[in-house]
Amino acid sequence: MNALKKIASVFAAAAMALTFAGCAGSGSSSDSGSAAAGSFRTVDEIKSSGKVMIGVFSDKNPFGYVDNEGKFQGYDVYFAERIAKDLGVELELVPVEAASRVEFLETAKVDIILANFTVTEERKEKVDFALPYMKVALGVVSPDSAVITDASQLNGKTLIVVKGTTAETYFTDNYPDVKLQKYDEYNEAYSALQDGRGDAFSTDNTEVLAWAMSNPGFTVGVESLGSLDAIAPAVTKGNESLLNWINDEIKALAKEQFFHADYDATLASVYGDSVDKDKLVVEGGEM
Amino acid sequence: MQGIEVLFMGNNMLRLWGGLWVTLRLSLISIGLSLFIGLFVGAFMLVKNPIVKAICRVYIEIVRIMPQLVWLFIIFFGITKLTGIDLDGETAAVIMLTIWGASEVGDLVRAAFSSIPSHQFESGLSLGLSRVQLYVYIIFPQAVRGLVPDVINLSTRMIKTTALVSLIGVTEVLKVGKQIIDANRFEYPNAALWVYAAIFLMYFIICFPLSLLSRKLTKKRGE
Amino acid sequence: MTMEEHIIDIEHLTKKFGDNVIISDLSLSVSQGEVVVLIGPSGCGKSTLLRCINGLEPVQGGSVKLHGEPVEHGKSSLYNIRQKIGMVFQSYDLFPHMTVMKNVTLAPLKVQGRNKDEVTGQAMELLGRVGLADKADAYPSELSGGQKQRVAIVRSLIMNPDIMLLDEITAALDPEMVHEVLNVVLDLAKGGTTMMIVTHEMAFAEAVADRVIFLDGGVIVEEDAPEVFFHSPKTERAQRFLKTFTYSK
Repeated sequence: MNALKKIASVFAAAAMALTFAGCAGSGSSSDSGSAAAGSFRTVDEIKSSGKVMIGVFSDKNPFGYVDNEGKFQGYDVYFAERIAKDLGVELELVPVEAASRVEFLETAKVDIILANFTVTEERKEKVDFALPYMKVALGVVSPDSAVITDASQLNGKTLIVVKGTTAETYFTDNYPDVKLQKYDEYNEAYSALQDGRGDAFSTDNTEVLAWAMSNPGFTVGVESLGSLDAIAPAVTKGNESLLNWINDEIKALAKEQFFHADYDATLASVYGDSVDKDKLVVEGGEM
Repeated sequence: MQGIEVLFMGNNMLRLWGGLWVTLRLSLISIGLSLFIGLFVGAFMLVKNPIVKAICRVYIEIVRIMPQLVWLFIIFFGITKLTGIDLDGETAAVIMLTIWGASEVGDLVRAAFSSIPSHQFESGLSLGLSRVQLYVYIIFPQAVRGLVPDVINLSTRMIKTTALVSLIGVTEVLKVGKQIIDANRFEYPNAALWVYAAIFLMYFIICFPLSLLSRKLTKKRGE
Repeated sequence: MTMEEHIIDIEHLTKKFGDNVIISDLSLSVSQGEVVVLIGPSGCGKSTLLRCINGLEPVQGGSVKLHGEPVEHGKSSLYNIRQKIGMVFQSYDLFPHMTVMKNVTLAPLKVQGRNKDEVTGQAMELLGRVGLADKADAYPSELSGGQKQRVAIVRSLIMNPDIMLLDEITAALDPEMVHEVLNVVLDLAKGGTTMMIVTHEMAFAEAVADRVIFLDGGVIVEEDAPEVFFHSPKTERAQRFLKTFTYSK
């Protein structure tokens, strides 16, 4: 097998050459983008580059999604477009996933995340949240024949929940007399509700409101329950210049009730007219 | 048939094909690079030097143990954090798929060569063939024949693995499918079935000729 | 035996695997047209001896010469010498990815650089002689073990070697196929092909051999004409060995 040895040594040399060529190539081409890749960009840097990069969802209708024409739409996207306009720059939307939102900011691959990002203590350690522009609480959906309009009406009745959600912990802690029927998946929970296996179903109000709209015979009797979670834009930790700019922007937009307009343009068709907008929309960052 | 119309709304069909092209492009480039680099890895593993062998073994094992998603994050986000080099999503995806693919190909190459009986070498030599002739006419063709089905199998696994890249902002065919389903989830809750059926069909259209080809290639060589 | 030209001269050959001595100070010559059969218990060094003659094994002492030219493992001269030595192995060693015709014509075309029409003609003639003319386009996987070994013999013969080395070529065959292969070898012997044969088929050995060499422990224990060796062996070791092939109730 002496020949194998010789062949291998030739291969080795070639592989090494290839590796070097590869490194050199990628190194030089990647530096051309931003002045200091891997660190955030200030408002001035964004303005002078002529483009702001904002991370949004691409499959979370109605917050961030891509319509049948291939264009980004939704509540978050509507706001992103306004940010770009007021910065006076072009908008580049980057599709992100829930699992990679923090990383996109930490590596400054986007300037802002506007992806239905709920403010939590844990996330605050890694990114900087601006003022909220939306809020989420729990909602309870039930059949029209026996609408639940107050959580206390559930005492002694059966409530459907999805395992691991806020609804499960909230009702366990605050309404011990409610019988919980737990499912692994949302679609299982919804069919349980449709089959009448439970009296009502509870999860995020944004979710049940949208579902009730497209499922006649069911009503969200409780639109906002439990603690409010804030949804806010996020920037790379330490990017004060951009953070302050967004906060000022959100405050300024309150004058024209921008997020109500955003709601009308993107959420109204999904949640219906009967929903109280102020249960979801936040103006001027004031919950 | 409720929901099938979603496929033909707007640019959806075009977008699905576009997504498939992204999937294929990433897979093909990665398979090509994996074959090239994997050949070296395999050759290294056949070398008698225990250190070289050990390095290759460690490389293959590490790649196997660590989930591909972790590799993807290390390459796309980790490299930027460490060095400031900002790779774009597709490049990072190709690097991840190649690191993984090359280790697989390396092991396949090693196995393909080790499975050739020593008598094949000896009867070639005893006919007076030179070393180069021995490899060109006897050893490589047999090793390649053994590799074809495995490499095709790896290609299909690579196509599936490509679905991970949506996590770093690259929109491949499955992601396009999810976007279409989600955009129409209120009006057409049953669209998911049709979108996935369409993607399945697209995969089939691509993969079927591949499997035919591999069958033909192995058959032609007298199996 | 007449005084003919020596094809092979082995002088004081020693072969070890590590500390294990396989062949010890062995000397032997094979003349033009002679058929020498090597027999002995397993591990006696007979197969290793053939491999040394073909330069497949490095040796630790002594020399092997073909027409006076040294056969040396690892030397580039080996590639020329090997063309003159045909070797057939125990295992079915045809190249599985090539047709019978390609198997047979590869070396004469690529190594000897001969004319394609001439080589193809000779291949068909030889395949016809071993009864396999109709299998020229078959792949090895379509052949029986006996057919494969006949092709392997043709593959060596077509190089027009000075000597053929046959290493237990029927040991891996089903019994009913042994005959067809050995008949081919007997034909070769009649035609005057110089051969060294390692075999366990005693009846065949007696029929084909001009000279029988009994090896044990890496040395030549006895060397006889076949009728002498098989019917009145001189050494006790040979007697004992031959006894293992006879049965009585």
